[in-house]
Amino acid sequence: MNSTVKQDPIRAPARTQARRRQALAWLAAAPIILSGASLVRAQSPLNFGLTPVFLTNDLELLTRLETYLAQKTGREIALVQRRTYEEITGLLLSGQLTAAWICGYPFAQYRDRLSLVAVPVWQGQPLYRSYLIAGSGRNARSIDDLRGDIHAFSDPNSNSGFLVTAALLAERKLRPEQFFRQSFFTYGHRNVVRAVASGLAQSGSVDGYVWEVMASIEPELTGSTEIVSRSQLLGFPPIACLKTQEESVETRLMRDAFVGMAHDPAGREILGLLKLDGFSVEDPGLFDSIAKNMLLVRALNT
Amino acid sequence: MIGRIVRKLGPGFWPLSIRVPVVVALLMMGVSALIGNRVLAGLEETQERHLQQLASAYLDGLSASLIPPVLRDDVWEVFDTLDRAKQRYRALNVKWAAVTNGGANVIAASDPARFPSLQKLPDAIAANFSPVSEVTLDEERESAHLSRALLYQEREIGRIYAEADIGALLHERAGVLRTLLLTNGVLTLFLALAGYLAVRRMLNPVSLLSSHLDQAAQGAIGPIPEPIVARQGREYQRLFKRYNGLVRAVSEREALAADLAEEERLASLGRLASGMAHEINNPLGGMFNALDALRRHGERETVRQTSVSLLERGLSGIRDLVRSTLATYRGARGSRDLARADLDDLRLLLGPELKRRSLTLSWDNRFDESLQLPAGPVRDVALNLLLNACEASPEGAAVTFRAELRDACLVLHVADEGPGLPPDIRDYLIQAQADATPVNRRAGLGLWIVKRLCAEIGAELVLPQTERGSEMRVMIPGRVEALRDVA
Repeated sequence: MNSTVKQDPIRAPARTQARRRQALAWLAAAPIILSGASLVRAQSPLNFGLTPVFLTNDLELLTRLETYLAQKTGREIALVQRRTYEEITGLLLSGQLTAAWICGYPFAQYRDRLSLVAVPVWQGQPLYRSYLIAGSGRNARSIDDLRGDIHAFSDPNSNSGFLVTAALLAERKLRPEQFFRQSFFTYGHRNVVRAVASGLAQSGSVDGYVWEVMASIEPELTGSTEIVSRSQLLGFPPIACLKTQEESVETRLMRDAFVGMAHDPAGREILGLLKLDGFSVEDPGLFDSIAKNMLLVRALNT
Repeated sequence: MIGRIVRKLGPGFWPLSIRVPVVVALLMMGVSALIGNRVLAGLEETQERHLQQLASAYLDGLSASLIPPVLRDDVWEVFDTLDRAKQRYRALNVKWAAVTNGGANVIAASDPARFPSLQKLPDAIAANFSPVSEVTLDEERESAHLSRALLYQEREIGRIYAEADIGALLHERAGVLRTLLLTNGVLTLFLALAGYLAVRRMLNPVSLLSSHLDQAAQGAIGPIPEPIVARQGREYQRLFKRYNGLVRAVSEREALAADLAEEERLASLGRLASGMAHEINNPLGGMFNALDALRRHGERETVRQTSVSLLERGLSGIRDLVRSTLATYRGARGSRDLARADLDDLRLLLGPELKRRSLTLSWDNRFDESLQLPAGPVRDVALNLLLNACEASPEGAAVTFRAELRDACLVLHVADEGPGLPPDIRDYLIQAQADATPVNRRAGLGLWIVKRLCAEIGAELVLPQTERGSEMRVMIPGRVEALRDVA
């Protein structure tokens, strides 16, 4: 997913609409402000980071999400997008983001510094799988059939788009560059499907949730691919915040907004676009299996 | 023979109503070809310029986007850039695009199945691209081949190759050509047809005049009716009026000539009658003397016999003369075939004229009646020639007549010892049309009659050059006698 500058508070601190709304709010609430009863509206915006795990860069979805979060938190919202997981994770760790929708792998990597805000619920549980896919008609049955391929990964910090496959190879004492003829990163799960469907890559590692949703939205694209294997169930890419901010007002506002999404009409529309059931508060132990894979891969590289 | 027929079918013999539309059509075709050529050349130039501009914009855009990913050998980024450019430059109709690295291996192509990553671009494909020109057109394959080196710090780090489909441009060109051909064809056909109708309408008066002239040539000369003349435009009215004036002049001249001919006939007749009277008168004196002798000395046997004999000879001479005259002037235009005696009778008719002018006649008639010839015209021809010779001859001179058969023709020779034919009359006899009237009286109506009769019976009049006097030769074609027997 490519970055969208307009929601970026670092490059463009305030949007025109937000300014207008803010100005109107100032006028309307002038007596109250003067009494100091509603200083909350004058506070800095809540910055929410989005990674390419996010299904689509549909502007309508982003607008709805921003509006919904602003309405629920009572704060101005700035959506921050970056091309890679690493960039978003870096912004989150450096305290420039209130919260971010990251992947389970960065969460496992920085578990000591990050806390869960909420975890998406898909098909009734906060879990998903990673898929190994190949061009349709290839009839590959396991990763072993993909040896020597040009392989498309999503992101080096993606669980489903890299770590799961790397762990599978690590179990075989192999690194990706040893197993595949060549591999490259597309920085987007949808791009992995595009690369495999077009023949640019013979196989790819993709988020199972993304592939399934794409199968219902863009069947002609996923139709050119076939699933070689599915991973075990893993913790769904979570919304995380700095551990130090776990109990802050901003984090609570965010958590309440996401968890309450399924109970709000506007929130349900957003969930409908995302094809998710809702968000729930989960235990960090949900990501233990990812952490285990991470250790497996690290062990091979050290 | 065939050459003559082909020449007759040539454009020079086509009627004006065809020639003008054909010329219009040819001119139109020439103009259409010229305009079509200019339009197509202009269209081709514009298309190529647009293609060049579009291709340059495409390559510029790609180069700027591709240098960083090419430096990193980033397969996905290169593919994504090419894929997005394909949508962005849809007008260029890019079939495929590929980017190679410094080692000439494909990093990524918009059609990875055809050009897989990490492999060299097939030589057959690479050969289509020019090393010097960024854009080369291949109209046969309806393709434009685009290529550009990717330069970074003055080093070639890779190259873009792309093939664009120019079928739409070529089809547009073909469509324009078709439209031009169709439009110009229809226009040419329409103008040719309009030209044909217009010229035919314009030439209507000429055709009318031409048909009247044809009729005149066949002897039925007549004016163009006044209502028709009145319907024409000013130019043709003037022309038709002039023609009608000419017709009137010719008719008057013909009437005058006919009058003159009649006068000449009567004059000839008078001369003949005078001669005949003289011929009859001569024996009459003797015959009256014989009668007187009979009346007075009729009882004497010798006187009676001598007188009766004298009377008989005198009357016989008169009878022969009357018979010849009757034979000549009664039913002269009958359909009877010429007999040898018809020619011999002429000698008798000429007798008085010869005597009057003291001329001698050399007579040689070899006509044996083996040819069928019309008696009247042939005898008239011979008589007029002889009378003319007599008139031209000085006193005491000789006139020669000879009739003989040669190559199914009766050839009549008439010669005299006169001063010869004046040049204008000679020219008139040789060159003038058969129905032309003599220019003046000096031309001799007798000779005019000869010429008309010759034309009537298809005879040829020959005037050989002679040192003294004049000679006229008439060759009259006839039918062989045997044919009549066979029939």
